[in-house]
Amino acid sequence: MKNKLTKEEVLHVADLARIKVTEEEIEKYQVELKKLLDDVEKVNDVVGYDDEILIAPWDHNADLRNDTDTRMLEAKEVLKNAPNHTGNYITVPVVIGESEGA
Amino acid sequence: MKYLEKSIKEINDLLKKGTIKPIDLVEEAFERIETDKDLNAYITLNKEEALKQAKELEGKEVDNLLFGIPIAVKDNILTKDLRTTAASHILDNFIPIYDATVVEKIKAHNMIIVGKTNMDEFAMGSSSRTSYFGAPKNPWNNNKISGGSSGGSATTIAARHVPFALGSDTGGSIRQPASYTGIVGMKPTYGRVSRYGVIAFASSLDQLGPMTQNVLNNALLLNVISGHDPRDMTSSHREVEDYTRLIGKDIKGKKIAVPRFLMSDIVDPEIIKTIEVVIEMLKENGATVDYIDMKYLDNAVTLYQIIAMGEASSNLARFDGIRYGLSHENPKSHEDLYLETRREGFGKEVKRRIMVGSYLLSGENAKTYYNKALSIRDDMATEFDKVFKKYDYIIGPTTTTTAYNLDDPMDDPSKSFMDDVLVIPVNMAGLPGLGIPVGFDKNHMPIGMHIIGNKFEEAEMYRLGSFIEDKLNLDLNPKGGE
Repeated sequence: MKNKLTKEEVLHVADLARIKVTEEEIEKYQVELKKLLDDVEKVNDVVGYDDEILIAPWDHNADLRNDTDTRMLEAKEVLKNAPNHTGNYITVPVVIGESEGA
Repeated sequence: MKYLEKSIKEINDLLKKGTIKPIDLVEEAFERIETDKDLNAYITLNKEEALKQAKELEGKEVDNLLFGIPIAVKDNILTKDLRTTAASHILDNFIPIYDATVVEKIKAHNMIIVGKTNMDEFAMGSSSRTSYFGAPKNPWNNNKISGGSSGGSATTIAARHVPFALGSDTGGSIRQPASYTGIVGMKPTYGRVSRYGVIAFASSLDQLGPMTQNVLNNALLLNVISGHDPRDMTSSHREVEDYTRLIGKDIKGKKIAVPRFLMSDIVDPEIIKTIEVVIEMLKENGATVDYIDMKYLDNAVTLYQIIAMGEASSNLARFDGIRYGLSHENPKSHEDLYLETRREGFGKEVKRRIMVGSYLLSGENAKTYYNKALSIRDDMATEFDKVFKKYDYIIGPTTTTTAYNLDDPMDDPSKSFMDDVLVIPVNMAGLPGLGIPVGFDKNHMPIGMHIIGNKFEEAEMYRLGSFIEDKLNLDLNPKGGE
């Protein structure tokens, strides 16, 4: 069994996670991520009682709230934490191609 | 000034009589915290506001036991207008605009928040060393870890700065640091305490709980923070009982199970010996104790790695550099902003877990790993059900070793999971777990015992915890009762 991931595998995983990785980080992740993936592989050796699953251990059925107005956050308050905003809007970089934008 | 060394009842009487005022308690707490600044227990202090609040309480009726008492809050619990970072660079400028439900509750009882405690980044870790703000130090030996992820809360309680702290526990993060620092920590039943306003790590495992110097205080704080919350759909409708009601009561006839796995050779012999002494004491006092075999306990870490990393990858997708928190400067594009902000903002441990979690949930892997883990999780819960049909409690050690050195290597990515091997099963099944101190190792570092109860049996667990606490009567002040 190989003891590290390929560079491409690390880049694939980083892409799924939406995290940019640097060249030197890739090397470390090749080993570290492999170690964790080997750990979780052990789950396939476990023989269970049945196929029932437990997603979350609560004692009741989901409480779905009525579709009515509830407490809302004030836009002014929310914007206090926004890195960039204009008026009541959060500003983001151009999403569509720059030539088509602004 | 030694008021904070007194029992909560005594402090309450003094407040009622007007002998002391809340500000005396707050000033004393900050004097203690500032003396111990090097312990790095806090990320953000709330001194100005706390003193102001204490002043405002003067003249108000002392209407409950926790009125005017200082409390520390883990930094992954939202506090309105008080910086909340989850010990991450990505949130180091974040000022919440609302309070978590537990914070509303402690404020409604006029408790006074002194600050936000240090922790592992996003509660991911077992030593609080993944904190962006540096690790807290163990008050028993400043070269040792306080455990994690609620390491700052454990530190401030063990060092006697304040009588109460809130922690969170996803896979042992209240009980394990409690064990390493000689304090009492409860992870309540899943759904007992609202998670609204907690920065989510793994939503099906996360639960908040009290960390205190003794069992009675722990139950008092659980009384305050428990209860149904319509804003958390997993929150239980069960009525809140008085969790102090069985404290000091007898344990005669109680049936206790000790799973052999918890006392196996993965645990330091010194710890096993200490637990065995407690077991003998319990037998002498009329409890029956049986060693039993339980399936799946040894698989808990693997299940935890899959479920916790999977859920974390999903929960932490919200950190995008757009709505709040760190934002990469001069991004080339929208995508660049997202990718670069997350590269800059997350620490190593968190990145590793998000990456593995994303992979485990992607495509066919969701079936191979995540669903399989949920299936064994169900079997593990069934195993616990079987045991609780015959027994009142399950007990064992909380940790396999006592606190290790702050400078021990951090290069093994599995290590932080293995530190919680004995306490993770409880989170899987949604059961309550109580950590209490039961002795010391040869270097005088605390040893903890773990009491597991059936769902919503917290009051029964405090019965056993207080019984052991009373019989052992340990000196748990690291400063030797100054």
